[in-house]
Amino acid sequence: MRALVFSRKPARFAAAAVAGRAVPGSGAVVGPLKLSEGDELDPPTEAWVRLRPRLAGICGSDLAAIDGRSSRYFEPIVSFPFTPGHEVVGDLDDDTRAVLIPVLHCAVRGIDPPCPSCAAGRTHHCERIAFGHLDPALQSGFCRETGGGWSTGMLAHPDQLVAVPEAMADEAAVLVEPTACAVHAARSIRAGAAGGHGPVALIGAGTLGLTTLAALRHLDGGTERSVIATAKHPEQRRLARALGATRVVTPSELPRAVRSATASLVMAPDDATAAAAHGQLTGGVPTVVDCVGSADSLTQALKVVAPGGDVLVVGMPGTTTLDLTPLWHRETSLRGCYAYDRDDFATAFDVVAAADLGRLLSATYTLDRHREAIAHAAAAGSRGAVKIAFDLRAEKRR
Amino acid sequence: MESHVNGERAGPTRAEVALRTAVRLQRRLPTARRVSGAMQFPLRAPTVPGGVEPTPKETRLGGAYDTEWARSPAARLGRLALLEGAVRPLVWAIADPDRRGYDRLVGLNGPAIFAANHLSHIDAGLLLTSLPEPWRHRAFAGAAADYFFDSRVKATLAALALNAIPIERTKVTRRSAALAAELIDDGWSMVIFPEGGRSPDRWGQAFRAGAAFLAVRTGVPVVPVHLEGTGRILPKGTSKLVPGRTRVTFGTPLQPGPDEDMRDLSVRIEAAVTALADEVAGDWWTARRRAHAGLSPPLSGPDAGAWRRAWALGDRRSHRRTRREPWPLRD
Amino acid sequence: MPRPGLVLDVDSSTPPILFHHGESFRLEKLPAGRSRVVYPGEPLDAIRDVEGAIGDTLLHPLDSDPLPSLLFPGMRLVIAFDDVSLPLPKMKRPDIRQRVIEAVLDLAAAAGVDDVRIIAALALHRRMTEDELRHAVGDRVYDAFAPDGRLYNHDAEDPDDLAFLGTTPQGEEIEINKAAAESDLLVYVNINIVSMDGGHKSTATGLASYRSIRHHHNPATMEHSRSFMDRHSSELHHSNWRMGKVIRDAGVKVFQIESTLNTNVFGETGPLSVLQKREWEWSGRDRATYMAMSAGLKRMSANSRRRIFQSHEAPYGVTSVTAGAIEPVHERTLEHCFAQHLVPVEGQTDILTLGLPYICPYNVNSIMNPILVMCLGLGYFFNMYRGRPLVREGGVLIMSHPTPWEFHPVHHPSYIDFFEEVLADTTDPKLIAETYEKRYAEDEWYRHLYRTSHAYHGVHPFYMWYWGAHALAHLGSVIIVGGNVPAVRRLGFRPASTMQDALEMATDTVGPQPTVTHLHNPPIVMADVT
Repeated sequence: MRALVFSRKPARFAAAAVAGRAVPGSGAVVGPLKLSEGDELDPPTEAWVRLRPRLAGICGSDLAAIDGRSSRYFEPIVSFPFTPGHEVVGDLDDDTRAVLIPVLHCAVRGIDPPCPSCAAGRTHHCERIAFGHLDPALQSGFCRETGGGWSTGMLAHPDQLVAVPEAMADEAAVLVEPTACAVHAARSIRAGAAGGHGPVALIGAGTLGLTTLAALRHLDGGTERSVIATAKHPEQRRLARALGATRVVTPSELPRAVRSATASLVMAPDDATAAAAHGQLTGGVPTVVDCVGSADSLTQALKVVAPGGDVLVVGMPGTTTLDLTPLWHRETSLRGCYAYDRDDFATAFDVVAAADLGRLLSATYTLDRHREAIAHAAAAGSRGAVKIAFDLRAEKRR
Repeated sequence: MESHVNGERAGPTRAEVALRTAVRLQRRLPTARRVSGAMQFPLRAPTVPGGVEPTPKETRLGGAYDTEWARSPAARLGRLALLEGAVRPLVWAIADPDRRGYDRLVGLNGPAIFAANHLSHIDAGLLLTSLPEPWRHRAFAGAAADYFFDSRVKATLAALALNAIPIERTKVTRRSAALAAELIDDGWSMVIFPEGGRSPDRWGQAFRAGAAFLAVRTGVPVVPVHLEGTGRILPKGTSKLVPGRTRVTFGTPLQPGPDEDMRDLSVRIEAAVTALADEVAGDWWTARRRAHAGLSPPLSGPDAGAWRRAWALGDRRSHRRTRREPWPLRD
Repeated sequence: MPRPGLVLDVDSSTPPILFHHGESFRLEKLPAGRSRVVYPGEPLDAIRDVEGAIGDTLLHPLDSDPLPSLLFPGMRLVIAFDDVSLPLPKMKRPDIRQRVIEAVLDLAAAAGVDDVRIIAALALHRRMTEDELRHAVGDRVYDAFAPDGRLYNHDAEDPDDLAFLGTTPQGEEIEINKAAAESDLLVYVNINIVSMDGGHKSTATGLASYRSIRHHHNPATMEHSRSFMDRHSSELHHSNWRMGKVIRDAGVKVFQIESTLNTNVFGETGPLSVLQKREWEWSGRDRATYMAMSAGLKRMSANSRRRIFQSHEAPYGVTSVTAGAIEPVHERTLEHCFAQHLVPVEGQTDILTLGLPYICPYNVNSIMNPILVMCLGLGYFFNMYRGRPLVREGGVLIMSHPTPWEFHPVHHPSYIDFFEEVLADTTDPKLIAETYEKRYAEDEWYRHLYRTSHAYHGVHPFYMWYWGAHALAHLGSVIIVGGNVPAVRRLGFRPASTMQDALEMATDTVGPQPTVTHLHNPPIVMADVT
């Protein structure tokens, strides 16, 4: 079996952190990620089955790990060495295709009775991800025992598998997992301050941003709602427009766009800042969806969200420094948005099919070319790409 | 005692002392005549016999001082250096002038007579350095013959630095008037203080007709100029400099009418300077309205006792530029 | 004796032609045998005794009683004057407005008038700063009237200071400054730098509100103003004239004082004088100055270049001051304007080339943003014609300007949004007006900035675009030479890096061997096309 393996090697980890800060994606060169040949994994229990990945996507959280940017929060909920890859479409032993639901919750871990969250059906909130017979891990792709998608073979619990409809190509199926996150986010938006019609600002037009946009349009059932999306790069702008954004702006234009759309006033220390709408908007949109998760994007989100509104953090933030005074003063709720439940996953299949999200897969690479793949993924926006994946269909030892 | 007008500021400055000492020394120095006096005729001048009336010696000072040399190219160059190199920095240091109204001179071509009120010895320097081009380096000043030209050193200095020509205060003498008129005809502009002397109490005095006479005689316009603040710096009666701020305001040139009487013109000049004073103390619009209504506050101040005149001076607002907001309102 | 304007046929020995290019210049060789250059006339002789002329016209106005007889104690006198958008570039002190206003005030002072207000008639332009006001009216007037609020900027959004005067038969509403409307006499002090200014437009636009101005500042009107520099063929002016009649009928008594300036923009001596000389008459000294200037400018930052150019004050001469009733005064003014600006030109051309300078009416002490580039080229310069446009219908306009993607955040906030939002969607003036105008015009934030800061009104960028509506409808295509490529594209124009490329690109639209006309502006020249 061939697999990209991420091991616990502090020196390499440090080197990756330095290199990754200079050139995103370069952690793959100096860091602890290695292509290795090894034996097949042993299933933790009888119930587990073998999944031979066909396509496995590269996600922002994977890149953060490779570049040593991951928060120490993850330390107790991953187990080394692991093979990354949780956006997986693969073959089962009976040659049927399935998409992986990577969350390693109570049912998968053989914990009975399940934790209160799992019992309530919110498996992504599972309270036992570091416990039970399985090594600690929030998802497949961060777990020593399960393997991950960036390999020719991994293990999956039947509970983690959803069959792919015949008509759906692998290229579309690999986007189901990220789209499920997006569906989850879109449901949060609709349940929040923006409701079913209120205007929304969407920061970031990477995979998360674009799929969230598609999911929101799908659930809204139309383009009546005003959605202002920010996109840095021309290809992202084109896609955001194609997926139904009312207005697509560059990140620096967002405050002005929201101000103008909501006829808001601006509070700023001087005329020049105020006129450029760089201050705090008095009004704003009821919901801001931050699909980037950086200090800059969160600061911007707090400036353009209406009093009493929501900021939904969909992109993984890490350790950031933020001035939360506006959050306090304007009673903004800042809420995370992680993963999905089974229902979200089911809807994701519809969204991918309806919005033709297969087009977001921009390039695929073999495992041998993993450094190129990761470099491409790390610079996806500026290189006109959205989702990069490993194509394992032609690997020899499958 | 004049030096006690302002008790704490009494006493001459070093410059004044030096100037006076120089004058005294110059008088005490053995002159060539005294040296030769020790010698016998014909080595020395003859004595006048008792029976004859000696012919009056032609005096070379006062109104008769010949300033021709001061307009030679070399003297002009010297004056340029003196004015720009010494007088201007000095004026800037002690008087910090705010100069206004240049825009009123836009239509003015050729020589003019600049007529200003007079409060202090620094007025001439201030006004000369305030004149815009092209008048600045082609101007001469009318200076009191009995004050500026009473000694050779003062006369030389006045002629060199200010390009002054001696003017009799009390009357228009033919000599000084002819010289002034001739210079104006040659394209020189004149700086004159029609009050005839510095004000004794910082209020103005009546204007004399000299400026008007020359304007009518030569047909050049008179530019009324108002000087404010110089009286505080070096008023008459003290010799100590108290640096302060001043304002020079140029008024609209007054063209003498074809048959205008010089007395009428003189009244117009005085009214114009009076209106400028009003404008400086308040604002232009109020000043214009009062001027038209004949209600401009007279330069000569209220017709009242000395203390009330001094008291009323406090009303004269210094210009806004000097006003500074108290602490909480400024950084 | 100043020489009149000239149409030069370019031959192979014609030197390269000077093109203004924002805060720099280009020398461009135009194709010989099929190009011509329209040169402005030399500056007309100025009035020597301006104060005398002002005094004279105030005492002998056209179709009006002398000003002194209109002034009486207890009256309410309002003096309105043109704002910072005139003249361009700003005039060396003393500004003609100051000289006229002082003369008027002196008469008012003599008549014992107490209640005087002086208003900058800036319509929807940005409020003038203290320095700008001081420059326009002079320190004496400023110090006398500004401190207690009797000298101020017109506020087209102040509901308490606007008066509704009625509607024209065409349904155009007239709402103007209340103080002006309720005055016993409104004295309007204008500068007619081009023939578009003045007349009834002074009051009906300068002192009006958005409610009123929108009736003539719209795509339909502007497309039918051919050109707006020729008031008899200008729908813009017809509308203003109709409004002027309503204002008069409402009892507002206007005493109009118009003045015209000659084209002495860069001086007859001095380093910039080369810019108003004809290229074949450049002396060795002129050429050296030009080269030194170009080299120096190239080494400067954009901001320093801007500062240097914006600080230039033109030594204009005043060619006329006329006072009295609006219409006869304006006719007289136009004669003086046309005498200076008009150059007879025979026939239209395939390609019109323009070198756009660093300034237009809306970026004084500011930045010339892409929308203003459009407005200056397709609005002002394109309309510098009488009769027919210089370029034929379907022809090409090539203009040279760096067109930076840059905005003055204080002066032009709504321009930024207009550029980012509206132009990203469409460049069609009618569509823009229908879809976006109302929202921008009524935006509370723009209104706030207009009233309290120094921002143009929210609707102003729309007017800039409408100003080019006639040209947009008339032209086959527009090419900008040397501009910022994304900005030029956003304007809906085509970018070219050199004049040669632009001329080559233009053949796509007008065919091979096109005729070219260059309007050598500034100094201002207006083509009388037959």
